[in-house]
Amino acid sequence: MSPTARRPRTDRIQAFFEELASKGHEPLLHRATGTVRLDLRTDDAVEHWALSFVKGDISVSRRNARADASVGMERKLFEGMVKGTVNLNAALLRGVIDVHGDLGLVFALDRLLPGPPRSRASFLERQQELVP
Amino acid sequence: MSTDVVKILDGNTFVVSDGRGDIEASLTDPTGLFSFDTRFLSHWVLTVNGERLDALSTDDLQYFEARFFLVPGTGTVYVDADLSVIRRRVVANGFHEELVILNHGAEPVDLEVRIDAASDFADLFEVKDALKKKGVYETVVGEDSLQLVYRRQTFERSTWITASASASYDEDGLTFTATVAGHGRWTTELVVTTDQAGAELIRRGRSGPAQRTRVAEHMAKDLERWVDGAPRLECDNDELKVTYRRSLVDLAALRFVAPILPGHSLPAAGLPWFMTMFGRDSIFTSLQALPFTPDLAATTLRALGARQGTRLDDFRDEDPGRILHEMRYGEMTAFEERPHSPYYGCADATPLYVVLLDEYERWTGDTRLVRELEYEARAALAWIDEYADLQGNGYISYKRRNEKTGLENQCWKDSWDSISFRDGTLPGFPRATCELQGYAYDAKVRGARLARKVWRDVGLADRLEKEAADLKRRFNRDFWVEDGGYFAVAIDEQGRQVDSLTSNNGHLLWSGIVDKSKAKSVAGHLLSSRLFSGWGVRTLATGEGRFNPIGYHVGTVWPFDNSFIAWGLRRYGFKREAAQIAEGILAAAEFFDGRLPEAFGGYPRAMTKYPVQYPTACSPQAWSTGAPLLFLRTMLGLEPIGDHLVVDPALPETIGRMELLDIPGRWGRIDAFGRGRVDTAGADRRSRGGT
Repeated sequence: MSPTARRPRTDRIQAFFEELASKGHEPLLHRATGTVRLDLRTDDAVEHWALSFVKGDISVSRRNARADASVGMERKLFEGMVKGTVNLNAALLRGVIDVHGDLGLVFALDRLLPGPPRSRASFLERQQELVP
Repeated sequence: MSTDVVKILDGNTFVVSDGRGDIEASLTDPTGLFSFDTRFLSHWVLTVNGERLDALSTDDLQYFEARFFLVPGTGTVYVDADLSVIRRRVVANGFHEELVILNHGAEPVDLEVRIDAASDFADLFEVKDALKKKGVYETVVGEDSLQLVYRRQTFERSTWITASASASYDEDGLTFTATVAGHGRWTTELVVTTDQAGAELIRRGRSGPAQRTRVAEHMAKDLERWVDGAPRLECDNDELKVTYRRSLVDLAALRFVAPILPGHSLPAAGLPWFMTMFGRDSIFTSLQALPFTPDLAATTLRALGARQGTRLDDFRDEDPGRILHEMRYGEMTAFEERPHSPYYGCADATPLYVVLLDEYERWTGDTRLVRELEYEARAALAWIDEYADLQGNGYISYKRRNEKTGLENQCWKDSWDSISFRDGTLPGFPRATCELQGYAYDAKVRGARLARKVWRDVGLADRLEKEAADLKRRFNRDFWVEDGGYFAVAIDEQGRQVDSLTSNNGHLLWSGIVDKSKAKSVAGHLLSSRLFSGWGVRTLATGEGRFNPIGYHVGTVWPFDNSFIAWGLRRYGFKREAAQIAEGILAAAEFFDGRLPEAFGGYPRAMTKYPVQYPTACSPQAWSTGAPLLFLRTMLGLEPIGDHLVVDPALPETIGRMELLDIPGRWGRIDAFGRGRVDTAGADRRSRGGT
């Protein structure tokens, strides 16, 4: 299915899902089973992504599929999440995300999101310093 | 807080009012209606014909229910009122309040009954730290309701107030007008509902039915089931029976449904500040309660596992595999002014997670859960070596990465001055406190057992056992204070021993990391007059630079701490000493009607005769509530061995005969009996030497 929204040339969201799809399995999600759909809003459209989990196996589609959980938000916000600069849990508490259905699947999605890039970099620096 | 403060709660919704049932909160005091870390009512005052009321009596019927008997204020001690007012309040997603007014006179009376209501929607953190709000308030007056609203961008919290009787609503509350016949009565039911628009996360965590009339009934039945499901205690000592029942009921009150696992409850940490999921507190409490209510442990393991760290995040001090410290739901967390979404800055919950999983299996035989949580347990074990060894010296250390709002001390003694040298100076960071190494050792030993028995991974089991043995050897060399004959509380960033004498030594016994040859000396210190007050073991020994009998972690006695110390003493065969500590803390409980506070003063028992409560201690607090349960276990010497429960009692004489009936476990249900034979009077005499 063709994307309905205009996207910048390097699309982080697309890259994020493509990486997930090619990975195909994530042991962090071994307890999750079901489909969670993301409805990402831009000014003129809603972009859908459906993620299906079966005990750690992940499949990705662009369909506006029926899902066990749906998560709606501004596309830009989710872009921050896949970059690691926006925290999903805090965003939930702020009320900027609409969630319907199985909350456990939303937390499963959260487990796939990275932390802030700077935190990763500073960890690697500390590791370097520890090497005698 | 004054003594007439009334607290009722259900999960993390609670109401704190005065003895009349009124709420008049200032920014800094924790009275009001709270839910999910937000205050939904800060003002709730009842007047009848313009007069405030006086309390004749207040009943805490159940932990979720209170009744206030009131009369119109007279301003004198002489009461001869023609009117009685009864308020009965039940917590449930807010609260329900039944208001009954009785006219004792023969003539009809005209009444104007008024409730003034307001909310500041303070985040619990703001109440704690006296901070200002950043959003806007709105009040919506309806025909049959009053809605108080707070908004900050998309963040919205609101309080709905309605009543069964017709009333006129205005911006500041609601007024009823009624005529009550001679010897007649007038009644209404007020319903206060909390709403967290858009915050789906929170809605899911709510419990309890919606129908107003059935709330109290439903909760009473649930409590009855809870108490009936636990073992029955029969003993000569009536006070102990009171303490046991109090513990079970308070534990029921502190149960909390995390939004991640609807329908299951785990222990929250304590009222009023800590009604939320805490890694450390939930795990310790689940350990204490294992022989009594093993389901708490299962839920704790599942809920903490579901929120186990997955990434590096400096603001939240999160690492992959790390077990969370604290989860919060209020405004400051939502806007990332606090890192509790969740916050991971604690260094002990992760190894303790594996300890709990193993102990849970030993009691229940539930290998299914151990398989279900294999990934989480392995990730926790990996965290110890890959993320917690901040100094590259093979020990768990902590140093916060969030330097603004993270926690400095990430061990259970988390106040600023809790870890000190003998002379009182504070070490730098990272700090490797000793008990963390004990927990890591125990986690590896127990992880190895689970790997061998359940996960069928011999390679992992062998590696963990080898690492554990190596850790024990190094620890007994590096932490042992030669001239003291005990273990240093920590190793600092320069590799120096932080050499003060602390209660942490008892936790080391519990973990089994102490060489047999050193155990006697350690036990001797724990029961010495420098550490043992006669009531219990002090957090820090007398004579140390920072010792203060009412210092939070530098001299007070913590019932929770002592319950694990006693378990540790038993582990090394010091039955008498364990009984001694059990006797002291359980005797202290009698002074608090069976409800042990978080901490009490470290004054010698012989000097004060009663335990002096620590000024701002939290109560009820989950791990204090769990302490008597763990003492029962240690006194009876209950230990699961294979499919059997071994009973090896060593009870203080003061307890007399004791039976614990229907102890649940992999054996089905078993009874344990014991008779008090340990003379504990001697230590009390010895403790008089302390200061």
